Amino acid sequence: MAAAQQRPARQRRCPDRLMAWTAPPWRLMNAAERRRYWWGHWRLAVPFATTLLLVLAMTAPLLVPAPVFPHLALISIFVWATFQPGLMPPWLAFVLGIIADLLFAQPVGVNATLFAATAGFVRVFEARYGRHAHGFDWAMATALIIAFEAATCGLMALAGRPVPLLPLGWQALTSTIAYPLVVALCARIQRLAFGSDGTP
Amino acid sequence: MDWTPPPRRSTAMRREQNLALVGAVVSGAVIATGLLLVLVARVNPDGAARMRGVMLDIVTPVWSVVRAPFDGAGRAADWAGDYLAAVDRNRRLETELAAARLELQRAGSDRRALATLKQLEKVADPARSLIATARIVSATSGSVVRSAMIAAGRREGVGPGLPVIGAQGLIGRTIEAGTVSARVLLLNDPASRIPVIIVRTGQAALVVGTNRPALELHDKVGADLPLLAGDRLVTSGDGGIFPPGIPVGTIIGPEEPVQVRPSAHPVGAAYVRVETAYMVMPQVTPLPGYDAAVPIEARRSGGGAAAPRPPAPLP
Repeated sequence: MAAAQQRPARQRRCPDRLMAWTAPPWRLMNAAERRRYWWGHWRLAVPFATTLLLVLAMTAPLLVPAPVFPHLALISIFVWATFQPGLMPPWLAFVLGIIADLLFAQPVGVNATLFAATAGFVRVFEARYGRHAHGFDWAMATALIIAFEAATCGLMALAGRPVPLLPLGWQALTSTIAYPLVVALCARIQRLAFGSDGTP
Repeated sequence: MDWTPPPRRSTAMRREQNLALVGAVVSGAVIATGLLLVLVARVNPDGAARMRGVMLDIVTPVWSVVRAPFDGAGRAADWAGDYLAAVDRNRRLETELAAARLELQRAGSDRRALATLKQLEKVADPARSLIATARIVSATSGSVVRSAMIAAGRREGVGPGLPVIGAQGLIGRTIEAGTVSARVLLLNDPASRIPVIIVRTGQAALVVGTNRPALELHDKVGADLPLLAGDRLVTSGDGGIFPPGIPVGTIIGPEEPVQVRPSAHPVGAAYVRVETAYMVMPQVTPLPGYDAAVPIEARRSGGGAAAPRPPAPLP
């Protein structure tokens, strides 16, 4: 008990360490306890589910002739990769990107590559530079969104369906404006699901 | 031993480093897979058609339910707006109607003359036929692709490659279809190409989307007459998908690149018609041409499966 209290809070409930040393006595549990144990992992799906909902929200019946709707899914991946790096790994962002590609009628692989690259970039960047102010994060997200739009153009051309770059500036603009809103939403969900210390 | 061995890393540290390495390798592999998928999509654009249909079927019913109250609110606002300024609008419409009646009389006699001429010349026009009337329920306004989803799919007979026409003019064509939903490529999409005729001059051209509100007119064919702002464009019927004579847009900027305002906007088009493709082009597989000399014995015996037969037997 004393040893468990000495360990930092993050390690105590971290999922990939569950198997290592807090794995429950599986054979000793009855069916209800096993169910409760497995359903107790619902928090691991929170970043994925949030981003999926935002991908669906991006197909809202807003018929505008230019791409002006903010890229909520990209911002969500960026935010969750900073809030819960363990729960938004690049492969999960890749899966979300495939779903986004199928929903947005883009060639399969465009959003998948860029979402995975975004999650990977944030992971490396956070590991190296750690925590910083909200304004700095916003600036970094802006730079990332602009790079994302340019790379979308390149990958669409690579997939054989070139699109003009300039109209994507509208989306970069609205995404930059929408960033604080998505951060507020994700922060609220983070506090509801993970508590104030943010451990999964 | 004349050198000191490196200090042994702790187990936890080794595990951390191994996990980080595995994570980096997996991330790299995932990104490489994504790039590979992009290349696959270049070679085979219709590869994931079935998956796309399933996704459409999941999303479209959700939005049809979610948007229902908003549609009701919009209808109520329209209804209220109809009562405001009704007198002014009525007067304006009456003057327009008087002018339109004259035009209509002229058009009626023209139509009869045209029908007679077509009968004399035995012109065979493919008939237009309606497949389904459906509602636009959703759109991809956050993506580089301009498309909308309609609530009619393979169950109603809607497949890819069909013209979609609104009350004011052309909306686009279907590109994917699920069981209860289909996706419409709108005119603004950069991949959209509509063969049109400029009504005043009779020139054929292509209307191309650019992801902007205005479309562009490209590849004008015919006498090089100057275009005017206000020239109307209708579909020409070339290409076999769109029936001829559907309004596409109006020229608003006659300088190069020619800017075109679409006549139908998908926002106003609550319900759209999906019609059969006007005239499906037959799929002709060209016979392989031989430029090498073929021995006469081989020709007589048929010379393989696809060798072109000579029109008359050789002596």
